[in-house]
Amino acid sequence: MNYLLHILVIICIYLVLGLSLNLIVGYTGLLSLSHAAFYGIGAYIGTLLMMNLGLGFLPSLALAVIGAMLLSLTISIPSLRLKGDYFMLATLGFQIIVFAVLYNWVGLTRGPFGIPGIPRPSLFGFQLRTVGHYLGFSVAVAAICLGLLFLITHSPFGRVLKAIREDEMAAAALGKDTPRLKVVAFSIAAGFAAVSGVLFATYMRYIDPTSFTLMESIFILSVIVIGGTGNVSGPIAGTILLIVLPEALRFLRIPDAIAANMRQVIYGLAIILIMRYRPQGLLGEYRFE
Amino acid sequence: MLPQLIANGLVMGCSYALVALGFALIYNTTRTFHFAHGGVYVLSAYLLYTFRNLWGIPLVPAAILTLLLIAFLGVAIDEVLYRPLVKRGSSQPIQMLSSLGLYIVIINLIAMFYGNETKMLSPGVQPTYTVGHIILARTQIVTAVTFVVLFVSLLFLLRKSRMGKTIRALRDDPELVSASGINARFFRWSVFALGSVLAGVAAILAGLDVGIDPNIGMTALLSGAVAVIIGGVGVFEGAALGGIALGLLQSLAIWQTSARWQDMVTFVVLIVFLLFRPQGLFGIRRRAEEMAG
Repeated sequence: MNYLLHILVIICIYLVLGLSLNLIVGYTGLLSLSHAAFYGIGAYIGTLLMMNLGLGFLPSLALAVIGAMLLSLTISIPSLRLKGDYFMLATLGFQIIVFAVLYNWVGLTRGPFGIPGIPRPSLFGFQLRTVGHYLGFSVAVAAICLGLLFLITHSPFGRVLKAIREDEMAAAALGKDTPRLKVVAFSIAAGFAAVSGVLFATYMRYIDPTSFTLMESIFILSVIVIGGTGNVSGPIAGTILLIVLPEALRFLRIPDAIAANMRQVIYGLAIILIMRYRPQGLLGEYRFE
Repeated sequence: MLPQLIANGLVMGCSYALVALGFALIYNTTRTFHFAHGGVYVLSAYLLYTFRNLWGIPLVPAAILTLLLIAFLGVAIDEVLYRPLVKRGSSQPIQMLSSLGLYIVIINLIAMFYGNETKMLSPGVQPTYTVGHIILARTQIVTAVTFVVLFVSLLFLLRKSRMGKTIRALRDDPELVSASGINARFFRWSVFALGSVLAGVAAILAGLDVGIDPNIGMTALLSGAVAVIIGGVGVFEGAALGGIALGLLQSLAIWQTSARWQDMVTFVVLIVFLLFRPQGLFGIRRRAEEMAG
């Protein structure tokens, strides 16, 4: 039973990650490989504030989100004038730099040893103890995030982003400040990734840099590429599929040693097939054209 | 200390330069961000390991066999993965994501068959040579010599031969090449075969020097791609010089800080270049909007 609840918590975390990355990939049409970096930045800022400064859960969460949004500016302002593979390379570089800092700045992050014993949140006097409690909490957080993202993508702001994706020149000609809008979208996405990071840290109660690698960024990107981007249902479908399907592999009695690699092979093949036959993903609407 | 680090950096740079030349050949010609190049790199190392260490074939025939297979693999990747996409007129992100998918498939298949632990291609201590204050292992010397020979022959091929001219034409306008009655497909194959062999050579040499594991491909690919950006996209010599510059820089970074910050140095350099000199050291200045091609 706890196993099932665990998977549901993980789905909530990845729903927020996938839908926020969708804001960059599906709405502005830029491929970003730095989402795990913001996920990690959120997890570390939140954890360090709670454990070293003794701040409560909500102030730590708020500061983690603000921190990730500000740090996202360091990469988005300079690189948003780049396009295509140059933009992707810049975000990839950012991802690797963030990982190097988390791994090597041992004085602050304890580096490869990780940070154990992260406290579970307690809200309005109620202490979350069991996995069940935590599931209820993460469903609530995910629902709030999804609601906010839905409002953002369906607001005039979201429609301008779509216009930029389809024809940036035309959007600019209509007086839209396209670089600024892209920077804002990028930092909103980073902020939501930080929410996922804080959820992950307080759920697992232990973090180390290996959860926030380039491979993790690639995984989050493949979730939404396979599910589809540019709307809300695509990333939801991708998250559920890519989290639940590999769990089914456990029941096929595949040895643990190769199960992880097998899962990755399936992701890789899925990306290739989707790109070939259905570039908009399973339920998405943006076709990367 | 410093001369030794410079020598090590130059040799490391030669290895990066080989990967970068292969990547540049494919990237400059086809405009495909060839992530699978990293997969080709890892697979070369593991093929050599299989032929030499598991089946007992001597090094030189094993290496030749590996490179032949890798050349075919390069062509197969183009035919099976990219060609249908190019024919359909798919965008750059689609090709890049497909390539990334293939990279993931290749390295995880390798990990499934061979395991994740480091394998040694040449166990034992290598013979070393001392020149003044510098000590170099035999593989390091072979790497430097191989790079110089391959680089000079490639330059000759691309600058002086008809093939080089066609490859440059293919970059500018593939349809016009076909329309002129030239078999564009054959030249595309040559580009992929040659590019993959360059990665294969680098992988074999690096594998003989320090051993192999399934993750060496991403590091090699990224160093190669960064070298191409430093040198300047579209400039073939730039890729080689960019690779050597990167090797030197990483080596000097060890001198000033520690080996742990090597990756960081690579990517700080990348971001600085993307921001302030996106055309690279030797590239032709173009507007940022044009860079995506």
